[in-house]
Amino acid sequence: MGIPYTPIEGLYILLAVSSLLVLVIILSFYKKLGIGKEFTFAILKGGGQLVLIALFLTFLFQTDLWIFLIWILLLTMILVGGHTSAKRATHMPHAFQITTPSILAGATTALMVLALSQAMPLQPQYIIPLAGMAFGNSMSICSLSLDRLVREIKLNRTGIESMLSLGISSKQAIEEYNRLSIRAALIPTIDRLKTLGLIFIPGAMAGLLIAGTDPLVAAEYQIIVYLMIVGGGIITAMTVAMLARKKIFTEYEQLAEWLYKE
Amino acid sequence: MNIISILQIDHLSKTLQKNPILKNITFDIKKAEIVTIVGPSGGGKTTLLRCLNRLIEADQGSIIFDQKPITDYTPPALRKNMVLVPQESVMFPGSVYDNISFALQIHDMHDEHQIKKSLTDTGLSENFLTKKASQLSGGEKKRVSLARALALFPKMLLLDEPTTGIDPKNLHTVEQRIISFSKQRNLTVLWVTHDVEQAKRVSNRIANLKQGTVTSITTPDQFQWEEAY
Repeated sequence: MGIPYTPIEGLYILLAVSSLLVLVIILSFYKKLGIGKEFTFAILKGGGQLVLIALFLTFLFQTDLWIFLIWILLLTMILVGGHTSAKRATHMPHAFQITTPSILAGATTALMVLALSQAMPLQPQYIIPLAGMAFGNSMSICSLSLDRLVREIKLNRTGIESMLSLGISSKQAIEEYNRLSIRAALIPTIDRLKTLGLIFIPGAMAGLLIAGTDPLVAAEYQIIVYLMIVGGGIITAMTVAMLARKKIFTEYEQLAEWLYKE
Repeated sequence: MNIISILQIDHLSKTLQKNPILKNITFDIKKAEIVTIVGPSGGGKTTLLRCLNRLIEADQGSIIFDQKPITDYTPPALRKNMVLVPQESVMFPGSVYDNISFALQIHDMHDEHQIKKSLTDTGLSENFLTKKASQLSGGEKKRVSLARALALFPKMLLLDEPTTGIDPKNLHTVEQRIISFSKQRNLTVLWVTHDVEQAKRVSNRIANLKQGTVTSITTPDQFQWEEAY
């Protein structure tokens, strides 16, 4: 048993549920919250994007060309993720050279494990949502770790230079900040893991339950998804730490000039 | 005094954010000599020290340290032998002992006796070793910074205002300690200070750095107050 209605029936239901949008607009206007316009724009933009991807997926699931098209989709995910995450590193030149390979390393490692363990059958209806989750979460973890690392380095420039002044290498001088940034990036995911099922039923499990999957299988799959996120995430965060050193220091083990820009 | 130069600076220039900070600096320092640099704030004193141990790159000129251009050393090897003690003393996490032993462990030079001796050379007692470094006073932190540097047995020390924050009661003690370990260890010291009287007390020669240029380099008894500012 899945969701018991057709796309057309779903459209009517969607219109009915849109009464909540009207509610937001009315409340925003009445209480002068100033979010009505932004919320309407966001829901139309986000909804439009979802409909477009749904149309694309409908085509992809039916065509024999999926094996080529899926690579384009994955490449787009990597590039968009890399560029979005790179914006977190204010003033860092060419930050995408760190973020793109970091997201790629983390997400592809996790997806490979899922493919090899047969948790992800090599069919587009499995690859696309799981790759979306893997790349999306790796992107968030990449952004968090890079943001934290850059902030720590900027805050502790004098301390780092004190270490360099004693002949300590750049690698050793930022080891502590690398650890902090990796931990900080993974803490939100680990905290979500601890509260799984207690505070909320997460996306993948909720989706599977709505689609009529056995709750136990849905729970197992959700755990698989979280393992993918944390496993890929730690690789992403560690790759960020490894690659960022080349941007943070010059070839002569000096703090790079961009770190002094405010 | 040994007459061999340990440091030769030749036509050194550095521009930061389009402002020329150092202009054609040329002088040399003999082995085991204490040279102080005095001059007004913003005159380029700190920038000069940072160029010497390559925390920043000079734009022009050459620096010869211990018979070799500084570019012939790897930056960590250069900095281990020519240690800069910055004006702001940032303590590393942990105790005073951890602070002094940190670089020693990395350089594979760990030595308990040396850790204690370096600390006592700065006038702090061994009791300080177990204290949490972050809880020390400004003056105590300065001395731990000095001890961290001394423990490495460098050939040269670059001191940026090493007595700032040290109370007047201990000021002369720390000055005397620096002079005495320079003599004991045959250690060359390039000492930046804003205090001309201190420069006269501690140095073999005083260099006056004004607006990025060394305007004079003399012995303390020849130094004129009005030259400084």
